[in-house]
Amino acid sequence: MENGTQEPLVPKIAVKNFSAFYGKTQALHNVDFTIYERKITAMIGPSGCGKSTFLRSLNRMNDFFQGFRVEGSATLDGEEIYGPAVNPVLIRQRVGMVFQKPNPFQKSIFENVAYGLRIQGVKSRSVLSDIVEKSLKAAALWDEVKDRLNGSAFSLSGGQQQRLCIARALAVEPEVILLDEPASALDPISTARIEELMQDLKDRYTIAIVTHNMQQAARVSDRTAFFLDGTLVEVNDTTKIFTNPEDSRTEDYITGRFG
Amino acid sequence: MAENPLPEKGLSAYRKVRNALLGSLTAVAFILAVTPLLAIVYVAYDRGKAALSLAFLTTMPGGFPVGIEGGIANGIAGSLILIFIASLLSVPVGIWAGLYLWDQSHTRLAKITRLLSDLLLGVPSVIWGVVGFFVFSTNTGFGFHWGFSGLAAGLTLGFIMIPIVTRVTEQALRDVPRSYIEGALALGASRFQVVRGLAIPAAITGIGTGILLGVLNVLGQTAPLVFTNYYNTGIPKSLVGSNGSVGDLAMQIFIYIHEPSKELHVKAMAAALVLTVIVLLLDMGIRLLAWGSRKYAQRMG
Repeated sequence: MENGTQEPLVPKIAVKNFSAFYGKTQALHNVDFTIYERKITAMIGPSGCGKSTFLRSLNRMNDFFQGFRVEGSATLDGEEIYGPAVNPVLIRQRVGMVFQKPNPFQKSIFENVAYGLRIQGVKSRSVLSDIVEKSLKAAALWDEVKDRLNGSAFSLSGGQQQRLCIARALAVEPEVILLDEPASALDPISTARIEELMQDLKDRYTIAIVTHNMQQAARVSDRTAFFLDGTLVEVNDTTKIFTNPEDSRTEDYITGRFG
Repeated sequence: MAENPLPEKGLSAYRKVRNALLGSLTAVAFILAVTPLLAIVYVAYDRGKAALSLAFLTTMPGGFPVGIEGGIANGIAGSLILIFIASLLSVPVGIWAGLYLWDQSHTRLAKITRLLSDLLLGVPSVIWGVVGFFVFSTNTGFGFHWGFSGLAAGLTLGFIMIPIVTRVTEQALRDVPRSYIEGALALGASRFQVVRGLAIPAAITGIGTGILLGVLNVLGQTAPLVFTNYYNTGIPKSLVGSNGSVGDLAMQIFIYIHEPSKELHVKAMAAALVLTVIVLLLDMGIRLLAWGSRKYAQRMG
């Protein structure tokens, strides 16, 4: 992929010597990693390698697991994500997330997108309408739903539901969007739409995506990180990872020798 | 010629017989399960229909033995008063406790609470009655000394209801998919916003069912009332003290059936039908309420 080497890379999320534990089990070992602004960073690796744990650590979605804890440093614009005075709610407002399975709320299409604003106290119908429209357009869903905004979100297809979830995340104007295997439950056409969408969104957002699908990582991302057994094996420009990896384990994985 | 290794298409005789057998067993089980309800309604109606009238619902019992004349307005009013007091105590406490058990499910305090709550579910109602009697009715150091009264009985019934509401609320919240909760958290919702705006609305039918189960349990309780309230042929002015007993449908049926009077037996059966109809109406009411609040939550944030 083109990766715009002309622009300087600005670090958005920087992780240093970062380890994560579920109780006594260590899921991540001393990860050093930087996610750059307005780039798409893909995380690949076999199941259980820690890539999802890593992604979910970045907006503190793992806080709710009994016994989860982290060591080391993870910063968002230089501010410690796990700092003692940090409110995780504020982190999640800046770092949005879209999950593997579409998880719309049991509400109308409109209210799904408006939810994040409502909980921030936005009441004005016209403000809500504007942002809902803008977000649905950004998620390439507007034309398909504009005539049935009050219809149930469950009436949409799986691919549409996932784009609705992306619109919902965009509505609160996050700086970073984390995508946890966003297309793994979708058909190829829906997947292609999500991938196109990511390219559109890249101009304004920093995107990190976990994917099982190496072709997808190669197609959409600027940088790719390969995780194995809770360690970060290698991170580099996507073209470099897929054509000339430095680590033999990366090469074994991307050539399909295991995983 | 090689023999066809596959059996003929279609079901074998054995499977046909087995299907028919299991199908009829299911039908029998279904009939056995619904027969009691039909039997209750039929018997109560057949034996009580002579006493049924609008006046039966709206007049107080009179004559001698008391109840020979008049209706069961005292029992209806008293049962509703008891449900009201019991719900006032148990619904907020039970829902709050259920939320706690769900939210803090792994903490030691939650585990102890859950265990104790389950133990309470198994306590026989006669024991609730005796304890309620000592705590609320007598002057045994708790300082209440409310006598046989609506308040003593209502609170005793409320305590019986708490563990029911607690456990059903917790279970209903557990049934809300985790992905749903995570979706809201990822949008920057606080824990409280998630609970109020998503988890409770998604679980409201279950929570409503829990309250209903509690109320139905309370409606049918007789043993605790023997010790904490007994019975009143009228409607009391106060719910505390020596004249604070309320009427109660379950007690009324119990007392009427024990009277050596055919007329009272008929009235007991009519009262039983009324009690059954109240249960059905409450059931429908709660379901409507749950449905309505879900609609409301879908529109609101």
